Amino acid sequence: MFDVEFDNVSKRYKRPRVHVNPEPAMPFLQRWFRRRGPRIDCWALRDVSFRVKRGEALGIIGQNGAGKSTILKLLSRITAPTAGEIRICGRLSALLEIGSGFHQDLTGRENAYLSGVTFGMTRKEVSDKLASIIEFSGVGDFIDAPVKRYSSGMYLRLGFSIAAHLNPDILLLDEVLAVGDVAFQSKCLNRIQDLRKAGRTIIFVSHDLAAVERLCDRTLLVNRGEIVYEGNPHEATLEYQRCTLLASEAPAHVSEMSRVVECSHFSYRSAADGAESVRTGEAMIVEVAYLARETVAGVVFNVYVYWPSGYLCTQLSTGEPGITVEKGPGRVSFLCPIVNLRPGLFLVDVAAERYPEVLDWRHRCAILRVDEAPSF
Amino acid sequence: MAQPVQVIRPPSFSLFALGDHLVRLMQFRDLLYTLTLYRLSVRYRQSVLGYFWAILHPVLLMLTYTVIFSRFVKVPTHGTPYAVFAFSALLPWTLFSNGLTGATMGLPAHSNLLSKVYFPREIVPLSYILAAFVDFLMAFVVLVLLMFHYGIPLSVGALWAVPAIVTLALFLTGISLFAAAMQARFRDVGMALPLLLQVWMFATPVVYSISSVPMSVRYWYDFNPLVGIMETFRGALLHGAAPEWPLLVKSLSISMAVAVAAYIWFKHAEATFVDVI
Repeated sequence: MFDVEFDNVSKRYKRPRVHVNPEPAMPFLQRWFRRRGPRIDCWALRDVSFRVKRGEALGIIGQNGAGKSTILKLLSRITAPTAGEIRICGRLSALLEIGSGFHQDLTGRENAYLSGVTFGMTRKEVSDKLASIIEFSGVGDFIDAPVKRYSSGMYLRLGFSIAAHLNPDILLLDEVLAVGDVAFQSKCLNRIQDLRKAGRTIIFVSHDLAAVERLCDRTLLVNRGEIVYEGNPHEATLEYQRCTLLASEAPAHVSEMSRVVECSHFSYRSAADGAESVRTGEAMIVEVAYLARETVAGVVFNVYVYWPSGYLCTQLSTGEPGITVEKGPGRVSFLCPIVNLRPGLFLVDVAAERYPEVLDWRHRCAILRVDEAPSF
Repeated sequence: MAQPVQVIRPPSFSLFALGDHLVRLMQFRDLLYTLTLYRLSVRYRQSVLGYFWAILHPVLLMLTYTVIFSRFVKVPTHGTPYAVFAFSALLPWTLFSNGLTGATMGLPAHSNLLSKVYFPREIVPLSYILAAFVDFLMAFVVLVLLMFHYGIPLSVGALWAVPAIVTLALFLTGISLFAAAMQARFRDVGMALPLLLQVWMFATPVVYSISSVPMSVRYWYDFNPLVGIMETFRGALLHGAAPEWPLLVKSLSISMAVAVAAYIWFKHAEATFVDVI
């Protein structure tokens, strides 16, 4: 039994014509027509096929512009495919942006009605659930104030509360967890888990790879409008990282390095059991293998750990004045007694330096994966 | 539990899908109702005169035209006081003009909603038309008072106004869906509309009597469905007269053709509104 079937679906967007500036000497009318350059088509999706079983949670990941949101827009009928066929079985709700349908001048109560019927409920269904919606949102007395007077948190909570009462067979989620505070996010996650337990089908598009792994049974990796990987969420995330996170440009100074000491390998493991996975709060051993072409004194090995956004998160260093490395291969080990990183994925740079000279800098050479600490 | 399977395909023109569209529209009737309700209430929020504006608008127009066409220029009205003569046609005209303007501008104003949730898109223009209809009903009370003031009796024949309003509703819906679908792609429609409406009003017997129109142009003149609608409406209310059937039937057939064609076209264009709006 399939709830959702995508059958060779393609979607083409017509990009607006590029306006070019014609020569001013041209007659006016001619200029008018010349102004419009050639029309370039842009395929957001090309021959995409996949199926989602009832009760399954499917994750869709990929870079910006890969076609993830287009898949959701097609599913929710916001726009139509250019070719192919989509079959949907069951009541489908899309949460593409919480509270987006709100009218600023209307009160929270009025907006609850408006939003509910926009999502396909009847007024009676909204009336029946209204008390529960108000309670879940926690906006209290503000329910009868215009939503333009709401704080952005109240706005979100009311929006999510209405959405949480839709009770769909198939739920589409697009980055809804990216907004709101921690309490709100966990409320969202709980609600989604409830729906999962109730056997509902979920399609979840996100950049939060950890959330996708936690929530989904299966993941599609989309790139340039095509499905490049389909299967286990963990494998899909790794594949995604390989294609995207590591593909960022190396800084310019890399070519000027002498590479007298070359960093050849980076690895990490749990200090407790030697497994290749680490958890928040546990001890970790990080190892950098190197190859020295000659004996060098005063070498400092650095391991830089970045957030996926590219900001430096933390750093491991052998520190100054540095160590003397003998000619030949060798390795440096760092022992971190407590991993104070939250669960997620981090990018790693490894460098061998002899200040101020950079001997070798491996830009984004590995990914450090931190898992959630087991709960006690 | 067998649930109906929805199939989504690339958009196509289809007369047969019309039934499906109407069924779907019915499923969303609560949205149409809610949107219309809030359209009315939001419009007059933070305004002092509130709902009074719905009446004020046609009344002020009527006063202006009465001064111009019964004091400055004498327009023959065959014995009917000019004020009530003009007002009886200004009502359906205001319905048409406000409904069409609102419906045309409605889709771009809701682009944020359109790009986030699916619902039958015709609901947006339809809600503007329904809101204009409510204004019409409120102003209608003023017409009855005005007739009372001038001693014009309201007879059973006034019920002939109903077919005129039905025809107007059909025509207004058709033209509005067409204009709204065009406006989503080409904003020129919105720019041209005020001018078009001004010309259109003078091509319709609103502020003058149809008897002033030369017979030689009447053949073409009558192709404007509003001619039959206005004449029937005014005749029914002021004189309790039965419609001039050939004229009304002509209006009705054009209105129906426009409404069906526009709806099919709108539903075809609707599928990609979000891409172009």
